[in-house]
Amino acid sequence: MAQFDLTRINCQYLDRHLTFPLLEFLCGKEIYNQQELLEYILDTVNKTNMIDYTMDTRKRLNLSQEMPEELVQRKGEVLATLKQLQNEVAPIMKATDILKNGESMKDSKTFVNALQKDYNFKVEHLESAYKLAKYLYECGNYQESTSYLYFCLIVMSPNDKNYLNVLWGKLAAEILTLNWNTALEDLTRLRDYIDSANFSTIQALQQRTWLIHWSVLVFFNHPKGRDLIIEMFLYKPLYLNAIQTMCPHIMRYLATAVVINRTRRNALKDLIKVIQQESYTYRDPITEFLECLYVNFDFEGARLKLHECQTVIFNDFFIVACLNEFVEDARLMIFETFCRIHQCITISMLADKLNMKPNEAECWIVNLIRNARLNAKIDSKLGHVVMGTQPLSPYQQLVEKIDSLSMRSEHLAGLIERKSKQKNQESIDSWKYY
Amino acid sequence: MSRFFANGSDSESESSEEEVQAQNYNKAANFQFSDDEEEVKRVVRSTKEKRYENLTGIIKTIRNHKKIKDIPNTLSSFEDLTRAYTKALPVISKEENGITPRFYIRCLAELEDFINEVWEDREGRKNLSKNNSKSLGTLRQKVRKYIKDFEDDLARFREAPDQESDVEEGDGEAHDSDADRGGADSDGGVVGAGSGKLPEQPKAAKSAPSKVIADDDDDSDDSIDWDSDTESETESSEDENQYQNMRERFLKRTTEKEDKDDDKRKDKRKEQKHKVRKRAEDDEDGEWETVVKGNVVEKPKMFEKDAEIDIPLVLAKLVEIMSARGKKRTDRRLQIDLLFELRDISEQHALGTPISVKIHFNIISAIFDYNQKISEPMKLEHWALLLEVMQSMLKLLLANPDINMNESVAEEHEEYSTAPYFIRGCPLAAVERLDDEFTKLLKECDPHSNDYVSRLKDEINVVKTIELVVQYFERAGSNNERCRIYLRKIEHLYYKFDPEVLKRKRGEQPAAGSAPSSVEVMDKLCKFIYAKDDTDRIRTRAILAHIYHHAMHDNWFQARDLVLMSHLQDNIDAADPSTRILYNRMMANLGLCAFRQENVKDAHHCLVDLMVTGKPKELLAQGLLPQRQHERSAEQEKIEKQRQMPFHMHINLELLECVYLVSAMLLEIPYIAAHEFDARRRMISKTFYQQLRSSERQSLVGPPESMREHVVAAAKAMRCGNWQACANFIVNKKMNTKVWDLFYESERVREMLVKFIKEESLRTYLFTYSNVYTSISIPSLAQMYDLPLPKVHSIISKMIINEELMASLDDPSETVVMHRSEPSRLQALAMQFVDKVTNLVDVNEKVFDMKQGNFFQRGNMGNRDRGYNRNQNNQGGNWGGQRRRQRGGHHKQQQQQQQQQQTIEEE
Repeated sequence: MAQFDLTRINCQYLDRHLTFPLLEFLCGKEIYNQQELLEYILDTVNKTNMIDYTMDTRKRLNLSQEMPEELVQRKGEVLATLKQLQNEVAPIMKATDILKNGESMKDSKTFVNALQKDYNFKVEHLESAYKLAKYLYECGNYQESTSYLYFCLIVMSPNDKNYLNVLWGKLAAEILTLNWNTALEDLTRLRDYIDSANFSTIQALQQRTWLIHWSVLVFFNHPKGRDLIIEMFLYKPLYLNAIQTMCPHIMRYLATAVVINRTRRNALKDLIKVIQQESYTYRDPITEFLECLYVNFDFEGARLKLHECQTVIFNDFFIVACLNEFVEDARLMIFETFCRIHQCITISMLADKLNMKPNEAECWIVNLIRNARLNAKIDSKLGHVVMGTQPLSPYQQLVEKIDSLSMRSEHLAGLIERKSKQKNQESIDSWKYY
Repeated sequence: MSRFFANGSDSESESSEEEVQAQNYNKAANFQFSDDEEEVKRVVRSTKEKRYENLTGIIKTIRNHKKIKDIPNTLSSFEDLTRAYTKALPVISKEENGITPRFYIRCLAELEDFINEVWEDREGRKNLSKNNSKSLGTLRQKVRKYIKDFEDDLARFREAPDQESDVEEGDGEAHDSDADRGGADSDGGVVGAGSGKLPEQPKAAKSAPSKVIADDDDDSDDSIDWDSDTESETESSEDENQYQNMRERFLKRTTEKEDKDDDKRKDKRKEQKHKVRKRAEDDEDGEWETVVKGNVVEKPKMFEKDAEIDIPLVLAKLVEIMSARGKKRTDRRLQIDLLFELRDISEQHALGTPISVKIHFNIISAIFDYNQKISEPMKLEHWALLLEVMQSMLKLLLANPDINMNESVAEEHEEYSTAPYFIRGCPLAAVERLDDEFTKLLKECDPHSNDYVSRLKDEINVVKTIELVVQYFERAGSNNERCRIYLRKIEHLYYKFDPEVLKRKRGEQPAAGSAPSSVEVMDKLCKFIYAKDDTDRIRTRAILAHIYHHAMHDNWFQARDLVLMSHLQDNIDAADPSTRILYNRMMANLGLCAFRQENVKDAHHCLVDLMVTGKPKELLAQGLLPQRQHERSAEQEKIEKQRQMPFHMHINLELLECVYLVSAMLLEIPYIAAHEFDARRRMISKTFYQQLRSSERQSLVGPPESMREHVVAAAKAMRCGNWQACANFIVNKKMNTKVWDLFYESERVREMLVKFIKEESLRTYLFTYSNVYTSISIPSLAQMYDLPLPKVHSIISKMIINEELMASLDDPSETVVMHRSEPSRLQALAMQFVDKVTNLVDVNEKVFDMKQGNFFQRGNMGNRDRGYNRNQNNQGGNWGGQRRRQRGGHHKQQQQQQQQQQTIEEE
């Protein structure tokens, strides 16, 4: 399964701390050599200040029970630095605590004013708060880090050089504390900032690529994320471009999101177009499944791919939670397409195509018919499902075609009217000057 | 040489000095082309006397013509004369220090007199024939114009048309008659018999003719040489001598000129070529032939005898030589020779590489200067020489990293004596010019001749030279310069096919270890340009070449992405013609690539713009269209000719057209079948339609002959769903040799084609005959079309989903069940009416949008189009951008709008 594992690529675009969940997840699966993975984790952890985690990993690796001298020393250093930074920031924090309850908390401007007036607040304080937040984050104390970062965000002006970093830090910390609601807020804020700031093209592309990867974490965990991910990845050209040029592997998550989102079936068409376009740079069972089903109408192929998809999803940290949903929806998609083409299907064949037993399949279809999602009847003697098709009558066609016409014409007329009004207004305005 | 001293006119001291000089040269192992050497070696006469002989010959004919007042002939002879004189000019300036020979001046003076005389004689002039009077006018003007250059000489001549000339005059007349007779004799076939027997022969010259006729061996040479020497001192008026000379000259003409002239001229040319080549060879070997006899009189001396040759002196000399550059009367060939000489001197005195580089560079520019017309290619011998010098200069530059040759070095900051050296000059400009010259040379040759092939062999050398420059600039050049030279390299690389690439792609050959394939090289160069270039033009050209190269090696996706990402389609109209040509070439190749890679729709899309105009030949700069009603002036034509691609870079037009027509067929035929009764049918390809229609108009259609007829026949077969016949028309022996074998992997392309033909025929069949059946068995369809069952299933499914086919599948019986209900007449009309109304609303909206300049409001415009049509639109939109290219989308939409408007107008 290692060939479809994206952890390696994804980790390139994630923060070091964000990779730990992924790596730990991989430890649970048996794709890679456990020993090697742990060593890799140790390597990564060593670059942070999370001494306890390091120790833990070492234990798991059975290196030694004792804490090496060097680590002890480092722990001391880390604690000392932390202390020092905390001391620096302490007065401000106290002040904040006091102000928090008062009126001045309402908007950031009054808050900053109050701070400056009453507590002798200086820019250096902000700097140290930022440093502390970063240090805390590096130590793995994300919860505390968020509070300092929150403070920074309020006080900092958006054109501060650290503002972007704070935004990223906040997002990372929120993700790591599994605080999805705030994470989503931060994500939107960060995205707006990136879109509005004037980066050079290449920088913007890079920032967006990172954002895309981080947001996948959020989207698949937030209840609203499934709509948002489609909205952002597929319908925002800037992000779609970033995906196409920098990270086509994101197509997997986009595809999964589209498949499990029943309400957005119309996104499927656009998605398939993109998948086809990028098929030469990226393909995996999930995109291939869609391709089989909607481009080649190869149901046998789709069935096989669906089978593969299950293993892929099972081994992907981001989407493992959607496994059952995916399978169910994929089945439904196969079935729907099938129904659109066929007027009579044998149940046994259908069961075969859906990876189900005939009895199960029959049950499943019965349920579908009962829920009024399928206009069909089962002929149990022959074991057929007969679709209730009605050929489109010409009158209906006619009505369908004319349906939108009057509305469109009205819309057009409205537009023209508005336009002419505007013109009149302008001409009147221009006359005023004479 | 005794002969030399026998002249006696040179002062003793001078000659001795020259001798010393000559010896000096000998020691220096110089190469000097003295006439003597030539003579000793291969019995050739000096250029001088050949030229003079030629001149006198023409002068004599002029005299003859004058006598009978044959003005048109006088005119043509005069033109010959001037031409011959320009030819002789180098010799004259070399050997007589630029003083025009007296006999020439005399001729001019006579001519002038003659013209004036005829002109003044109004009566006579009136009686002249039309032809004559016309020529007279021309002649008069020409002579007047020409004489201006010789005004001084003429004035001097008119002051003292000395005695000698009188004698000669008479002489000349005598000779004339002589000559005439001689001519008559020779006509009568007595050429070889020896004119010595001619009775009228004046005694003084008795021996001469026989000598001449004897053959052009040493003797005659000697005497002639002598004569020419004396000629150079005409002023000293040695009557008898002169007499003899003239006589001899004329006699020689009578005998030799007539029968050997042509041969001789050829010989001469050959010798010259040989000379130059030999010089080049010498150059290479570094061993010069020693000059045996010191005869360097004709050449201006390089340096004083005892001058100490050092850097400043050589530089001064160089400047002196180069200062003559570009002046009207400068002998450019001499200049080149002098520079070579200077180089040797400097080398011999070990003045260091910088000087030598500088002189090399000047030689290069002198060679470039030699050819004054830019539009004409340089001479071959010069070309060979140029390549040599260029390469040796570059090697010098590369071997000495402390030499800095740069445009930006100011003249006064040049440094030759101490490292680091600075030299002013631009090898880049030189190599660019070299490359352009090469293209010109190629264009001059007939592409089907062996000439072209032999010329093309030099391509390797040019590429090598460019490679050297690349190395030089990679060491020391600025980014801009590197971009420029990279572009040159790219332009020699992009159109060449490297089979390695495909082999590697298929894994037949390991990529590691071996030299980088051309695609990799291309990638490297282009990426550098993309990153570093600051002029748009170089980048655009690099991208175009890059796409071309990718397309050539079947890297369809990379090529496509590059096109889409570069936004070239938007602003290519603003580019210069040669870039536009490159763009067209790129598009053509991209289309071919798409076709090979089974993307028929894209292939059609790429090629449609080229083909719809009906003049792909012109658009690809592969030939001019035949002139119609003087559409372009001569000047325009000249410019267009300059833009033409050399033959070896051409794209096969028949292949292009065939690919276009076949892909149009694959798209159009099913479409026609699907929309047979559709009022809003549009055509996909106009060109294809035209072909189809013109064949329909014929009352009798024979078996197909040409490529086009084959495609049309195939299209007709496909319309009935007869894939077998269609495939036979497209893929057969004739078409293979004509078209398909031109592809690298022709077998694969053919298989692909047959596959497509089967599929599209199946679709056409279903469209056409679906209303006849209520159900069709899928297995029998599969059998009919020789396709695997799943494939048929997939095709039919697709048609059902896209609502092209009103049917559904019946799984247990494996049949397609048709649902189509024929609408009644009224219903059909109602549908048509609705269509039109919809169209009207569409157009209204579009008109409004266009005025607003806002196309983005409704993205789902194409949705109301049904079925295949919609697919088409989406594809088009895709191609046109949507992903990375916003404005392209506009463009396509606009096109669509225009099309729709057209259809409405038609309706």
